[in-house]
This record gives sequence, C-alpha cells and structure tokens, in this order.
Amino acid sequence: MPPTPPGQEWKKGSAELLVLSLLEDQPRHGYDISKLIQIRSGGALRFHVTSLYPLLHRLEKQGLIEGLWVEKADQRRRRYYKLTPQGIAELRSKQQSWKDFVAVVNRVTGIEHA
Amino acid sequence: MPDWKNLIRERIAPLRLEATGEASLIEEVAQHLDDLYRDLRSGGASHEEAYRNTIGELDDLYPLQANLERNQRMPKHDVTEGVWRDLRYAFRTMRKAPVFTLFVVLTLALGIGANTTVFTLINTLLLNPLPVPDSAALAAVQTAEAERTAKASAPLPISYANLKDYQARNRVFLSLAGYTSPRVITWQTHGPSQRLFGELVTGNYFSTLGLIPAKGRFFLPEEDSTPGGHAVAVLNYGTWQTVFGGADDIVGKPLRINNVVFTVVGVAPPKFIGVNAVFGPDVWMPATMAEQLLPNEMQSALSDRAKAIFVGVGRLKPGVSRAQAQANVAAIAADLAREDPAANDGHTATVSPIREAIFGGNGSTFAPILFASAVLLIVVGIVLLIACSNVANLLLARSAARQQEMAVRLAMGASRSRLVRQLLTESVLLGLLSGILGMCFGYAGLRLLLGTLPGTANFMTPKLDATVLAFALIVSMATGFIFGVIPAFRSSRANVTEALKEEARTTGGSRRKVTLASALLVGQVAFSFLLLVTAALFLRSIGRAYDIDPGFQTKHLAVFMTNPGPAGYAKPQTKAFYKDVRERVARLPGVESVSWATNLPLWGRTVNGLQVEGRQARSQADKITTIVNTVDLDYFETAGVVIDRGREFANIDQEAAAPVAIVNEKLARDYWPNGEALGKRIRLPGEPQMRQIVGIARTANYSNWAEPPQLCVYLPLEQNYSDSMALYVRTKGDPEPLMNPVQREIRAAGPQILVGSPRTGREIVDNGLFQAKIVVTLLTVFGLLALGLASIGLYGILAYSVNRRKREIGLRMALGATQGSVLGLILRQGMSLVLTGVLIGFAAALLIGRLLSRMLYGVSASDPISVAGAALMLLAVALLACYLPARGASRVDPLVALREE
Repeated sequence: MPPTPPGQEWKKGSAELLVLSLLEDQPRHGYDISKLIQIRSGGALRFHVTSLYPLLHRLEKQGLIEGLWVEKADQRRRRYYKLTPQGIAELRSKQQSWKDFVAVVNRVTGIEHA
Repeated sequence: MPDWKNLIRERIAPLRLEATGEASLIEEVAQHLDDLYRDLRSGGASHEEAYRNTIGELDDLYPLQANLERNQRMPKHDVTEGVWRDLRYAFRTMRKAPVFTLFVVLTLALGIGANTTVFTLINTLLLNPLPVPDSAALAAVQTAEAERTAKASAPLPISYANLKDYQARNRVFLSLAGYTSPRVITWQTHGPSQRLFGELVTGNYFSTLGLIPAKGRFFLPEEDSTPGGHAVAVLNYGTWQTVFGGADDIVGKPLRINNVVFTVVGVAPPKFIGVNAVFGPDVWMPATMAEQLLPNEMQSALSDRAKAIFVGVGRLKPGVSRAQAQANVAAIAADLAREDPAANDGHTATVSPIREAIFGGNGSTFAPILFASAVLLIVVGIVLLIACSNVANLLLARSAARQQEMAVRLAMGASRSRLVRQLLTESVLLGLLSGILGMCFGYAGLRLLLGTLPGTANFMTPKLDATVLAFALIVSMATGFIFGVIPAFRSSRANVTEALKEEARTTGGSRRKVTLASALLVGQVAFSFLLLVTAALFLRSIGRAYDIDPGFQTKHLAVFMTNPGPAGYAKPQTKAFYKDVRERVARLPGVESVSWATNLPLWGRTVNGLQVEGRQARSQADKITTIVNTVDLDYFETAGVVIDRGREFANIDQEAAAPVAIVNEKLARDYWPNGEALGKRIRLPGEPQMRQIVGIARTANYSNWAEPPQLCVYLPLEQNYSDSMALYVRTKGDPEPLMNPVQREIRAAGPQILVGSPRTGREIVDNGLFQAKIVVTLLTVFGLLALGLASIGLYGILAYSVNRRKREIGLRMALGATQGSVLGLILRQGMSLVLTGVLIGFAAALLIGRLLSRMLYGVSASDPISVAGAALMLLAVALLACYLPARGASRVDPLVALREE
C-alpha cells in the first residue's frame, strides 16, 4: 500500500464536510464541486477526479446525498447531486463538531489569544 | 476532442469494477475531464498542455481503488468479465467500421464455405460412411490372387458356396454375412415397369451389421435356407419414403420383381444404403433368391464356386485383431483350394477394413478417392489461406490507422498482453461471424454439387452433423487467430512517443509490412493463375476430346438397355423379343440399321483368363484380361466399328455351327505379331470349345473415353445367348427425334420389359467425359474464387499504400506531376506484383501440366491459348483492382494532402 502523503490526512477528514457544505444552497455536478473547492480555497485545496467521485458515490450510498442524471438542451447529460434530509442533518452535525474541534484546537494552541 | 471515455475505461480496467457502476462512473468522469479540458483551452492553453493536465487527473488511481473497494468492486468473475468486456469492445469496433467488417466477413466466409463443403463430403464418404453401430469391428472378406495377397491386388468377390464355408469354419467372426453389389431389377407395376436396384444378402446381414428395422422386421434364419423358397424383401428407407410415399401399411405389401412376387417384411433404418459409400440398393432380398433374380448366365451362383458375386462382411470377435482374422481366413482359403482346385486354385482370401469394401465391392477405388479428397482439401485449404492473408493485409493496413489508439492505450498503462488479447478477440469474433456465414455458403455449395447427382433415394446424403459443425467452428476460430495474430503483435508493438507525434504516421516507416503483404500477394496471384491455367487446359482438352475418334460412330447412334430375362422371359421368348424389336425398329422412318450387343458403349465388361492357342500361361497372374462383347448381326455396321480383315458374323454362325469370334486389332497384333490372326483359335474362360477367329475389328474405346487400347473379343449372339442386351440404332440424321418412337416399339414388343438408359451417341460422349467436366467445374470455381480474393487483396494493399503516400503524391503533384503520371506510378506498383505472380504461376503450371498431361486429350500442358487466356483474364481483373486506387491517387488534391497533417 503506497504511503499517504502528509496533508492528505487533513483533507480526508474534512472532505465530506466540504462537499456537503457546497451542496447546501443548490444541487451541483462533480466538476462544479471540484472547481468551487479549488477557487474558494484559492488553489490550496484540490480534488482529483480519482478521489472526488469515489467520495460522492460513498456519500450517496450512505444516503446523505442523492445523484440524478439531468439532460439539458445542447449539453451532454450530467449527474447532479443534492442533499437529502439525512444529509442536511449530517451537515449540521459535522459543522457543529468542526466548530467545536477548531475551537478546541485553537484553545489548546493558543492561537485565539496570540 | 480526445475520447475520454476510452481512456478512462482503459485506465480503470485493472480495478475490475462491476459493469453497471463502472459505466456510470466512466460517463461522469469523462464529463468532468471534458469540462476541465474546455476550461483549460478557453484559458489559452494549447491542445498538448490541456491534454496533459486533464489526463494528469487520472494519475493517482489509489484513492479510486481504495474507496471503491468497499462497495463496487466485483467479487470474483475476473476472467468471464474480462472476456465479456473484450467482446463488447470488439462489437463496438466492428460497428464503427461496417464496410471493413463486411469485406472481411465475406472474404473469409467464402474460404470457410469452400472448406465446409469439401469437409462435409469427406466426412460423409471417408470418415463416417457406414451408419451402423461399432463399424470399427467390421471387416470385409474378399478373394484375392494368391501370389500377391500381401499388397494391393484388387480384391475379388467370393462365391456363395465359399462364403458358406467361411461362415461355418472361421473362428474369428461373431458372425459373417455376405452381400452383392446393387443390381438392376425390374419392378413390375400395373403401368410400365420401373427400374430399381436390389442387393442379395445372407439372412444374417442386418444382424451382423447390428441394425434395427425402421418398420417391420429383417430376414429370419429360415428365409436363408431353401433356395427360391422365401420371396421376402426389405426396403431402403429413402425408397420407402419417395417411391412408396412412406405408406404406413407397406409391411406385408406384395412387390413384383423380375416376375416374382416378393412380400415386403420390413424397412431398413434411415440413411442406411447398404455397405456402400455413394450408391446403394432400393431393396434387399435373401441370397437364396439368386436363381430368380440374376441374369441367366449367373443363375447357378448359389452352387457354382466359379461364380463369385458376394462380398463378405463380418463382425470380429472381441479381442481378435484383423491380422489374426486374416490368418484364419487365409488358412480356410488354402483348404478350399485343395478341396476344389478347379474353382479355387491360385486364390486366397483377404480381410480388409470395411471402409475399403464400401467403395465398390471389387476393385480398390479407395486410394484414388482418398487422393482426390486430399487434393481437394489442399486446394480449398490454400483458398482459405489466401482469404486469411488478404484479411491480414487489411488488418495490417488498418493497424496503421489504429496505431495512435494503441499508443495512447499503452501510454495510459494498458499492458501489451491486454492489447493483444483485445485485438485477438476482435479477429476471432470476425472469424466466428464468417464461420456462420461460411456454413451457409457451404450448405449452398453442397446443394449445388448434389444437383449434379441424380437425386434418388439410394444415393448417399451428405451429413451436416456435429463433426462438420465442430470442423467449421474450429476452422473459423483458427482462421480468426491466424489472420489476427501478426497484425495484433505488430500493433501492440506501437512506438508510444513516435505514434503520439502525429507526423510519424506519414513517413514511410513500415516498409516491412508492405514487403510481407506484397509477398503474400504475389503468392496469391501465382496460385490463382495456376488454377485458371489448369482449368483452361481441361476446358480446351474437353473441347478436343469430342473430336477424338473412339473407334465407333457417335453422331447417328442411339442405344437402349433391356432386360427380358429378369422380366421373366424364357430363352425362346427372349429370342423372339430380340427379333421382333429389330424388325419393328428397322421399319421406323429414319432408321438405317439395328442390332443388339451386351455392352453399352464405354461400359465394357472384362473377363479374366482368355486362352490363346499355342500360348501357355506361366502363372495365375499371367492370365489374359479382355473385353467380351456379345453382338447380334449387323452390329459392326450399326455401331460404326470397322472390320479390317475377315468377315462379320453372319447367319451361318448358329448355335450348332463351328464356334467363331471376332477379335480387335490390338489382340491380333499382341498375340500374332508376325502372322495372320485369322483362322487362329482362342478359348474364353468357362467355355468348353475353342473359337476360331473369323474377323479382325478396329480397336475402339470400350470402358473410358480416349483410353489406352484394350483387348476385345466379339461373340455372335446365337452362340452366346444373353438375356439382357442393349439395342443399337443407327439413324440417318439426328437420333434425338427417334428416341421416343424406338422406346414405344420396344414396349410394344415386350410390355413387361424395362427400357433403361436410353442415350444418344452425343450423351454417351458427355457421360464419358463426366469426370473431366467435374474437374473443370471445380477448378474454374476455385480459380475464380482465388482470383476474386487476390483482386480484393491487391485492391486493399494498393489503397493502403496510396493512403500512406498521400502526402508524397500531393507533393509530387504540387511540384508539377500530372494526373497521368501519378496514375502510372500506382499502376506500375500494382501490376509489377501481378506480373511477378503470373510468371511464378506459369512456372508452376508447366510443372503441374506435366503431371496432368496424361489426363489431357490432345492439348499440350503449355498450350499457348490456355496460358494466354488465363493470363489475359487475370491481368484484366488485376488491372481493374489496381485502377481504382490509382485513380484515387491521381485525384489527390495537393493542397488538401499537404495541409492534412
């Protein structure tokens, strides 16, 4: 098994939160999601297709998001993903625990008071 | 726009995802890459840059594998899934190039079809000719001449009395039966009589073979005991179906045959036509009925050991080898020779595999049939190889077009073996499709071939059985493999970096491919030329053959066979019938003369053991074999056989008068080289008295058209009565209009008598040349097939080369070359290959022609007309095949060609 590069560990834990958050306001397709992550992170965070799609499929299997093939005129059909009610609940809980986690880390490292 | 889906599919293939999940994932990811590529391009990136970055997305497969492992990876069906995937991919590739696929499938189907046809015949005739259980344990018992038992002296039949002794004394057979060859019998219905074929068999015949009747029963033991006592018959299944309409109540029905009322007791199983490969009887009757059924000269066949008409067929006891059986039977033969030297001296018995007896009870015709089959199989095999090499050429040409695809797939991490497997799957699939079509062609070919045979019930029917299916399947798959393997390895060896640089495509880098393809093509042209020349030689030779003088006249001749004896006529009645017919027919307008003879033209019967006065036979093997023909008055004039010296038979040559004979020139010259044969004496086997030679007739053809001279003895009818004879009629003009009136007169003279094989002289010649005509037909068909295939190959190779040289041609034209000079350039390239092929083919034709010269009538093997004709035809077709791509080349637009890359 190839070693996981450092930095990936962080991404792995937060990836689900990122994807779920981006789907909160509207359904999006995979490329849209990956582009938003890259743009909003100022290029710091990037998902390769080989990571993104397995993640989407896993979330779908867990019932947190729902994928749907949509055809629009003059375009190839795309698969759009939206949050399920279960996914909204999961997002809330993940957002909460992320906040808690960040707060705890900040408190411990003293960043807040620096 | 790159084909992302294929790239992704190739890339994730090693992950072995479950099919439905995979398809959806691929589509999604392809869409993603597509979006990314467009964004990069619109952001100002070059194609290469955008392509590289997009593809980079797929670099790290690990997350895909790790994350999908839990939900979507397939459990175990790796191999089937892989094959299935390859098949789907192959189908997609074929759909993308329907014309190419059609071309390939048609080409191969022709080759496979020809092979299937020939193999079906071989399968029916040689591999599986006798539809009886455990035919390997059957053996034929026949007579042979003692001196040469060890090797292939033609086996002879056994007499009934000897057969009975072999049955009683042998210790090697579970049971030993006997049968005769199919003989003409007359079936007397309420209307005109019909001709059927019947075999006499011993009572244990069917049980020895292990058959079960389709209806009723076979013969009982007591039906084989008293001569003439049991008029029962077993019908051939095919005859029951066709002649008797498959009537349910056939068992118990009376059947009036040769004036004896037989009762049908059973029907043989389907497809069984006796121990015969090609032609069998309509009806089987107990051997004890011989006296009632055989012509008068054979009527003592049951008791006379000199009259041998049976072939023994025995089932060996378990554990007994054929050599042991041979030893046992030979020992009995030696005893028989001691007990009855008059009939049996100098003879022994042979035990041979049953398949040798299947091809004619006497005379070993097995070897020539085996030889002909082998030649035929080689020819169709070469035709198939030509088809394969053409398809390989086309695939090679196409592999250039697919080089980029292969290179991309290799670059993406596909393994070489994976690509080879994929390409082979494609070609084997093509082979199988062609195989299916080829089976249809083969079946059609078989119908066509059988159309030349009379379609009666007692002919063999070719079996399209599991063996043939298996053969076609194996041939198709092997074909797919053969034509696919070289192109597949070539393609998979694609040079990744070179191929990806698109310019690499147009350089002349694949000289070797062209050289190999050209060599294959030259071979093809040579082979088709060879076949065409041979066909032309035979065709010319047949044309010449009609001009050959056979020694009898054919222009104004008609012959009709009659069998008054078997129809129940006694000797005085028969004689009256012969006389009556002669008088009636002679009265018909247009008839010049009429006579009778036992032999039909080209159906001469030979007799072994002629004695010439003053000449002592040194051994049994030294016996003189001669044609014997019993003829009526006026025969020589009617048949057009010239009497050179002496006299014809006349009214004075009565039964009581001194026995006389007329011999042919060959006999006279061979035995009286210095002196006069007239007045000398000869004796025929079985005759008590010597006959004096009163005339010498010109030597004619007796058994075959244009045969080497044979000895012949003519006897007067009055001194050698026969109850089956052929009527010879010499007409003033065309004999055709007289065919029906003559038959009417024969029926008027003898209403119960069957008139068989009415023929004009022209038809006799046609029949005599039948074999040669079949050879011509086959050669022409295969020659044209080979020519067609070679033309396809020529077209393919030139079209491919023109395509590759487009840029060069464009450049030439831009620099001022005319359309004509480009046309000439390509034509020269193609036609130089063709001419090389023709020269090689000509050399081969000269060699083969020497072997064939014995079969050619009056045409030399290097006959200029045949050679020129074949060459012209081949060149014309080849020119067309070259012209099409050459014209395409001359129309290359230099601007387009140079801009293209």
